Amino acid sequence: MKLQLLTIYLLLSLSTWSQELFAVTEPASNRPAGSIGFRVDNSVMDELGTYTINYHLIPEIMLGLSKKLMVSGNVFFSNRSDVLKIEGGSIYAKYRFLSNDMLQKHLRMAVFGRISYNNSDVHQEEIAMYGHNTGVEVGVVATQLLRKVAVSSSVSYVKATDNGNNNKFLYGLDNSKALNYTFSIGKLMLPKEYKNYRQTNVNLMLEFLSQMNMGSGNYYVDIAPTVQMIFNSQSRVDVGYRKELHSTLLRTAPNGVFVRLEYTLFNAFKPLSR
Amino acid sequence: MASDSQVTRVFFQASGLTCSMCSNSINKSLRTLDFVDKITADVRNYTFEVSFKDGSNVDFDRIKKKVEDAGFSIGDFKATIYLSSNQLAGDQTIKIGTSTLLIVNGKDQTLHGDIIVRFLDKGFVSSKEYKASSISKSSTEAGNYHVRI
Repeated sequence: MKLQLLTIYLLLSLSTWSQELFAVTEPASNRPAGSIGFRVDNSVMDELGTYTINYHLIPEIMLGLSKKLMVSGNVFFSNRSDVLKIEGGSIYAKYRFLSNDMLQKHLRMAVFGRISYNNSDVHQEEIAMYGHNTGVEVGVVATQLLRKVAVSSSVSYVKATDNGNNNKFLYGLDNSKALNYTFSIGKLMLPKEYKNYRQTNVNLMLEFLSQMNMGSGNYYVDIAPTVQMIFNSQSRVDVGYRKELHSTLLRTAPNGVFVRLEYTLFNAFKPLSR
Repeated sequence: MASDSQVTRVFFQASGLTCSMCSNSINKSLRTLDFVDKITADVRNYTFEVSFKDGSNVDFDRIKKKVEDAGFSIGDFKATIYLSSNQLAGDQTIKIGTSTLLIVNGKDQTLHGDIIVRFLDKGFVSSKEYKASSISKSSTEAGNYHVRI
C-alpha cells in the first residue's frame, strides 16, 4: 500500500499535462455530441491454476447523443468454452450532471448505468458486468482535471442475476450484490508542447479497481497501468496490464494484458439539443 | 444602421480541456456551421480564431452551442466587427445581422471601422465571471448581447 501511495504522489508531483481518457474506467466527461465512437477491447487473461488463456473480445459502438448524454452498446465474445463465441452484450449510458469548467481545468460529475446479459457459466464470485455476468450496474463518477493531472473516482452498485442458458448465479442471493470502487490517475507524457492535431499523444494511466461483495464482505483490489497513444487527435490505442494486488473473492482469471483500439467519427449525426 | 457592417472574425478561448483530442472535437464541431469560413486553432493555448463567409449572418449562440456540444465551455469571447458608419457607444446598440449588441461602456465615444468587442453574457465568459457581473441580473433576449469595447 505504501508503494501505491508513493506512486500516486510521484504522478501528482511530476506531471505537467494530463489526460482523462482512462483505459479501464470511464471519466465523468462525455463524448462529443453527435459523435460515433468505435471501440474494440481485447483482453488476454491468465486462468489461475491452469495453462489456459482466456481471451475476451468486446466490440463496442458509442454515441454522443447530446453534450450531457452518451449511450453505448457492445457484444461479448470469449473463448472460455474452447472456441471463440458470442456470450452476450450490454447497454451503457452516462449522464453528466455537473460541469464546472475553468481554463485548463474542470470538475465534472456523471451518473452511469449498465444492463448486461451473458449466457456463459458463472464461474467466479466476483461480479463483472463487462463480459461475465447478467445483471445491472449503477454508479456515480467524479473527474477533476487540475491543469497538471486528471484524477477520477467512481462508486457503483452491481447486482447479478442468473446468466442465460440456465446458468445460475451460484453464490446465493445475499452474495449477488457488490460495490465497486475505482480510482484513476492520468498524465500526458508526450508531446511536451502542443503544436498541432497530428502530434501523437502518449499518456500514462494508473488505475485502482476494487470490489466488495455486500453479502460475504469479500473483496479484491487490482492495479492497472496503461500506456495510451492518441493518433491524429482521433484514434487511440491503449495497452495495459491488470494485476490483482489482493483478493479474498473467488476469481478465475484476474491477471492479464488488454489492448483497446478506438476511433472517433466527429459530427456523424445531429445531436439532441439538450 | 448601416447594412454593410459585418462581423469579420471571432476569437475565443475554450475552457475545461487540456488535450488535443478535446480541442479537435471543438474544431470539428465548429466546421459544421454554414457561416464559418476558416478556423485557426492554437492547440497550445486552447484558443480559436474563426473567420466567416462574406455576407453571412454570424450567429454567436450557435458558435457557443458548438463548443458546448463538444463537451466544453467558452472562457473568453471577442469579436472583431467592421462598422461602415459612425456609431455612438453607451446607450447605443449596434445591430449586426440578426444580433443586437448592447455596449455597456465607453459612453459618447464615436465608433467607426474595425472595433473589438468582448461578450459578457452567460456562456461567453466563465461561469464565475458571469455570476459576479451585473449582467446576470438583467434579462437578455435571444440575439441580444451585452458587450464591452
